[in-house]
Amino acid sequence: MIEIENLKLDFPGRLNLFIEKLSIKKGGIFAIIGPNGAGKSTFLNIIALFQKPDKGTIEIWGKNILNLKDKLTFRRKISLVFSQPYLFSGSVYNNISLPLRLRGMRDTRAVDEMLGLFRIGHLKESKTDALSQGEMHRVALARAFVSRPQLLLLDEPFLSLDPSYKEELIVQLGHIIHTQETTVIFVTQDQLEALSLSDNLAVMMDGKILQQGRPQGIFSKPDSKEIADFVGVETILEGDIFKKEDNLCFVKVGEKIIEAVSEYDAGNSVFVCIRPEDVVISRYADISSARNHFKGQISDIEPWGLGYKLRLGCGFSLIASVTKQSVENLNLKPGEEIFASFKATAIHLIRRES
Amino acid sequence: MHFISEGFRKGITLIFGLNPEVLAILKLSLSVSIFATLIAVCIAVPLGSIIAIKKFPLKKIIIVLINTGMGLPPVVVGLFVALFLSRNGPLGFLQWLYTPRGMVLAQVIIATPIITGLSLAAVQSVDPKFYRQILALGATTRQSICILVKETRLAILAAVIAGFGSIISEVGAVMMVGGNIKGQTRVLTTATVLETNMGNFDIAIALGLILLTMSLIVNLALTFIQQSNTGQQK
Repeated sequence: MIEIENLKLDFPGRLNLFIEKLSIKKGGIFAIIGPNGAGKSTFLNIIALFQKPDKGTIEIWGKNILNLKDKLTFRRKISLVFSQPYLFSGSVYNNISLPLRLRGMRDTRAVDEMLGLFRIGHLKESKTDALSQGEMHRVALARAFVSRPQLLLLDEPFLSLDPSYKEELIVQLGHIIHTQETTVIFVTQDQLEALSLSDNLAVMMDGKILQQGRPQGIFSKPDSKEIADFVGVETILEGDIFKKEDNLCFVKVGEKIIEAVSEYDAGNSVFVCIRPEDVVISRYADISSARNHFKGQISDIEPWGLGYKLRLGCGFSLIASVTKQSVENLNLKPGEEIFASFKATAIHLIRRES
Repeated sequence: MHFISEGFRKGITLIFGLNPEVLAILKLSLSVSIFATLIAVCIAVPLGSIIAIKKFPLKKIIIVLINTGMGLPPVVVGLFVALFLSRNGPLGFLQWLYTPRGMVLAQVIIATPIITGLSLAAVQSVDPKFYRQILALGATTRQSICILVKETRLAILAAVIAGFGSIISEVGAVMMVGGNIKGQTRVLTTATVLETNMGNFDIAIALGLILLTMSLIVNLALTFIQQSNTGQQK
């Protein structure tokens, strides 16, 4: 268990890191997501004892590590992987065995096990300068795991990888981490990485943890407009709840009315958050069970990941994600009129100051 | 012009004739400078690396002092080493004045700041995250310095080449500390100065050629080692 309290580090004019309280459970993967300059890497550097905070405590394995005199013993229980693999000259084998050699150990079986786990056995004798970027990352991760760290710190480890390779490595890494029973703190600005790999997640912005919880919960129910914006809620509308029936809110957005399931009462001003993947597009008026149906005009279609992002004008600006196949089958083009629908349960409301 | 070409002719004859006196001077020059370089490397490379990676008060001032030391005039070093080693000096009890040991000491003082400054620059040029990565793998300070030196070996070797080059070719310090005593402390540079002053241009040219050739061979060897490693270094 890692317990962080009142952690403060001030870089005047640049970053004001302050974490009032943060608990990270033993085992599992804890991700911290946030934009560039949010303080994620600084936070990892503090845990790895490379940066001294102004104040606060970090209790790991029952000890406040910020008071440790023997940093080496602590560092030999952890491992750190940066976005750059930082391999040393020589062979892949020598790189992976280095943490063991530094500890005076010669465990060839452990090195071979890592070579197998990360599927780089065939590169054992290869020189590191002959490796591809993806192979270098595998070697760096294998090197981090070989000493069986109790705590693994990952600082945007997939930043420079191409998407398809990244996806494959994330799946493998997730499996390896769970079999090794290592606690992992993983910082990234990529929401999909965090969503695919983490068990728990915190959103950090301007040096502060704004929200913490299960990844799906944060992505579907962000606490603030800033978080919603960061976690990929493409449609954020300003509205006012004018009526409530049971838990169904009727929100006036401009001239339109959106129905959403929420605990807020009538009279509240809110942000209406609609994720692009929750919007269904059709050529004809939808007869589905979704409570929200709008006719709109396509203003823009642009590539987005493996599919497309569709911008609709339907009294408000609505963004939907559609597959390449849908765009072709429905023959979607800018200027055409189509129908969009979304469920009341798919909408998340965030209270705002009116 | 004739005396110059004649000097070259006689010089080459002396070299290929394996003149015992010239060979003794060559042997002493090489042993003093190589030994001094080795001592300087042992001090300067770890020192430069530690200064590069550690944060401490007055670090910038120390770096300024080292950089100043890289341009130490050999005559000034010779003067102070001679004063310290003189009979009444603080190190007079060593009785190293006018001995090869005293010459080694003077050359170590000249080469150390050069190798320190260049090693420091080499290690400082490494991405700080690279150093953090080494520590995060569980390295002690000593182990991390060894890894950093290994990873920056091309630049460190260039520092060694520069250090050796500066002392094999200097004359002021060895002249003042060694005294240019025939058969005891006479090295290539001091012998060249002496023979030139005496008008023995043929011998002076021969010694000069030997000095150049020797410097070329040593640098060729070091450069060969350096360049053969370029393929391995990232």
